[in-house]
Amino acid sequence: MIHKNVIKHLLKIRRLKKNEHHAMLYKVHKKYGISKRTLFYVKEYDNSNITRTILKESVLILLLASVISSLGGFALANVKTAFFSIIPLIIMLPVLNDMVGDYGIIISSKFSGMLHMGRIRGNILMNEHLRKLFIQIMIIALLTASICSIIALGLSTFATTLTYDIALKVFLITIIDVIVLVSILFIVAIAAGIYFYKKKEDPNNFLIPMTTSIADFGNMLILALLVMMIL
Amino acid sequence: MQIIDRDFKEIFTSEIISVLGGLVAGVLLALYVQKLFIIPSLIVILPGFLEMRGNISGSFASRLSSGLFLHVINPLKYSTRIVKGNIVASFILAIIVSLALGFMAFLFTYFVFGVFLVSIIFIPLIAGIIANAIEIAITLFATFYLFRKGHDPNNIIGPFITTTGDITSIVSLLVVVVVMI
Repeated sequence: MIHKNVIKHLLKIRRLKKNEHHAMLYKVHKKYGISKRTLFYVKEYDNSNITRTILKESVLILLLASVISSLGGFALANVKTAFFSIIPLIIMLPVLNDMVGDYGIIISSKFSGMLHMGRIRGNILMNEHLRKLFIQIMIIALLTASICSIIALGLSTFATTLTYDIALKVFLITIIDVIVLVSILFIVAIAAGIYFYKKKEDPNNFLIPMTTSIADFGNMLILALLVMMIL
Repeated sequence: MQIIDRDFKEIFTSEIISVLGGLVAGVLLALYVQKLFIIPSLIVILPGFLEMRGNISGSFASRLSSGLFLHVINPLKYSTRIVKGNIVASFILAIIVSLALGFMAFLFTYFVFGVFLVSIIFIPLIAGIIANAIEIAITLFATFYLFRKGHDPNNIIGPFITTTGDITSIVSLLVVVVVMI
């Protein structure tokens, strides 16, 4: 049976304002052994204005993300003739956007989880969990990018004739795009994740829109640049 | 440090599925590229439009996953206050962002091409509502299902959402463009 005091304290936590919860969370955590993550979630979402809380925290970052992504669209619009004449690149456009965005989501949610669980301490560069995540994501990114470009090139042969030169360039564009973007996403997720966590906010609400919009914008921009440089 | 662990396999598998789904969306795009980009400003908003569901549904799934792991959300009950609040919030966000994209398309068409076309605002708005209605439902059921099956939804749901989202988005955008023009 749950102790009456625990319920009393949890109800108090639900009423707390977002930026003043830490001292009490710590006390409840110490006294009753309830995990900090649970208490954080109770504080963040278990109140009467759950929709308003999410809207308030997410709407600006989502609007900003849309604007940033549309800037990527401008970059693409500038090279649309060259870009849309290369069929494998059209086929790969949603895949590359997805892939890089996926890594943004995975890196963000994993890093948010690490922050909540207290796994991020000391020198970040030497953090084993983070290094492992980086190596894993980079290997997967390179493998999937290679597979994706090979399939896209294969599919394109049904509609057009591809020279070896173009095929190689498309493959190179894909690989360079993925390596650059995964590295940028890691840097952004770590810097922003720590910043929002220190501000006592749930990094999940900020990191995912932020990294996916950077992924999309970066993807369009880098693709546009690479198309101009290589093709 | 063991690199190829359960997480690696889950992420890699879901990414491969994502790549295949994305290629389907890519082939659709390649087939209908002329029709879809009959309005040039749609190229500008396409990245934002494709990304929107990832952002909204990704955060939605991530919040649900955290709640499920913390036992604040019951994996067998969809109709709880937290879940309902999340669904409503995600849907409102989808409408706001779609509308913002519509305005961006309108402004681009007006300032770059000098064409005053108010109806362009409704293309991403209607397509966004259709795509998100499908996507939010898929995200909710997939997150709960994956959790109940013992998987970490964080590893799988991202690629899953963006892939299904791309297909639903491109199809809904195409449908709206064909109907409206």
